[in-house]
Amino acid sequence: MNCLEFRRRIGAEPRSRDPELLAHRDSCKDGCAAFWQRAQRFDDDLEAALAIPLPEGLVDRILLAQATGERRRQVGMRRAWMAMAASVVIAFAGVGMLWRQNDLNSLPALAVAHMPGEMDSLSLTRPMTDAQVEAGFTGRATQLKGPMPAGVTYVRDCTVGPYPAVHLVTRMNDEPVVALYMPGKMDTTPGTFERDGWEGRQMPLHGGTLVVLAQRGASRSAMDAVERGWRAAIEGPAPQNIGRI
Amino acid sequence: MPPVHKDVNPKQRQYEAMVRALSADLYRFAFWLSRNESVAQDLVQETFLRAWKNLDSLRDAESAKPWLITILRREHARLYERKRFDTVELDDTVPEEAAFASPERSGDAAQVRDAMLKLPDKYREPLAMQVLGGMSCDEIAAATHQQPGAVMTQLFRARQRLKDLLGGRAAAEGGRK
Repeated sequence: MNCLEFRRRIGAEPRSRDPELLAHRDSCKDGCAAFWQRAQRFDDDLEAALAIPLPEGLVDRILLAQATGERRRQVGMRRAWMAMAASVVIAFAGVGMLWRQNDLNSLPALAVAHMPGEMDSLSLTRPMTDAQVEAGFTGRATQLKGPMPAGVTYVRDCTVGPYPAVHLVTRMNDEPVVALYMPGKMDTTPGTFERDGWEGRQMPLHGGTLVVLAQRGASRSAMDAVERGWRAAIEGPAPQNIGRI
Repeated sequence: MPPVHKDVNPKQRQYEAMVRALSADLYRFAFWLSRNESVAQDLVQETFLRAWKNLDSLRDAESAKPWLITILRREHARLYERKRFDTVELDDTVPEEAAFASPERSGDAAQVRDAMLKLPDKYREPLAMQVLGGMSCDEIAAATHQQPGAVMTQLFRARQRLKDLLGGRAAAEGGRK
């Protein structure tokens, strides 16, 4: 390194600790050490001059601004979470209300809700005549296509929720089993249910829907027999399988 | 000032330590960059707020100061863009800031400050980054997207210009060859 290069480098970076520079400074006989000293003094003065006084409370103001901003952010986040939680609760409540509304309008709910006004019919034991039973179906513009089950003790035109129905009570093995036939209701999904002390099953038939109901504890065989009996009466006898392989 | 809470989280502790350690140099750099005391305060505050939001990207303590200076320069550029039409050329109209109302006003330091304020931005900024930020030529070059050789030339000329402005005083100190 020559003196020109040394002075150019020191003129730009007086504080450099580059060993090459320091070596030249220590070995040069042409005044580079004095030049280095003057450069250091100049930068000492420069550093001192640039170190202007700080405004009072600078650090505290910076920390306060950060703490305030952070607190505001946390409050904002908490509010956002609360709003989100409230939205979720409202959504659940809405879904719950919709579900409940839907459930109250379901066929099982309507069928069971129909029963309190008809409890006396369950205690009847005198069988009705076939003509009386047919008249009940005729009132709903329905013709029976097969033999009706024995032991029918009650028949009446009713309305189950919005659906016109034939309300029947069949006494099977001394157990009253209710059958509600709603002609024209075609959108029923078959299934069973238990609700408010009642066991029931609903099934689509050829021209409507049949709901079979019995008080909890009734025998399954009685309900099966009533279901089969009314299915055969309303849809007609099942086709014979004789001769098929 | 003692910490507000004993159980502050590590990020908050790191931030407070950084503010205490570096706010002075950062403020001084901001002042020499903007040549305005209140703008410098705003710049430092905004810089630290941005630093807080991005503190996780700071990997080691050594790089904290260059990192903050980079943020501050960006904030200053943004401020300049926003207030482009409000600025005035300050070379000959330096305001009487509190920083210059000290007893040093009439001394050598005041002369150096006056000279520093008269330096063009392209010399004053790298010089402040070097003297106050402790940044090397390479670091300044990286921060300002220049070649190291160009930065070295700017630093050399900055000192030469300062010595010219200081006239006899610099000559007495041997600033001139």
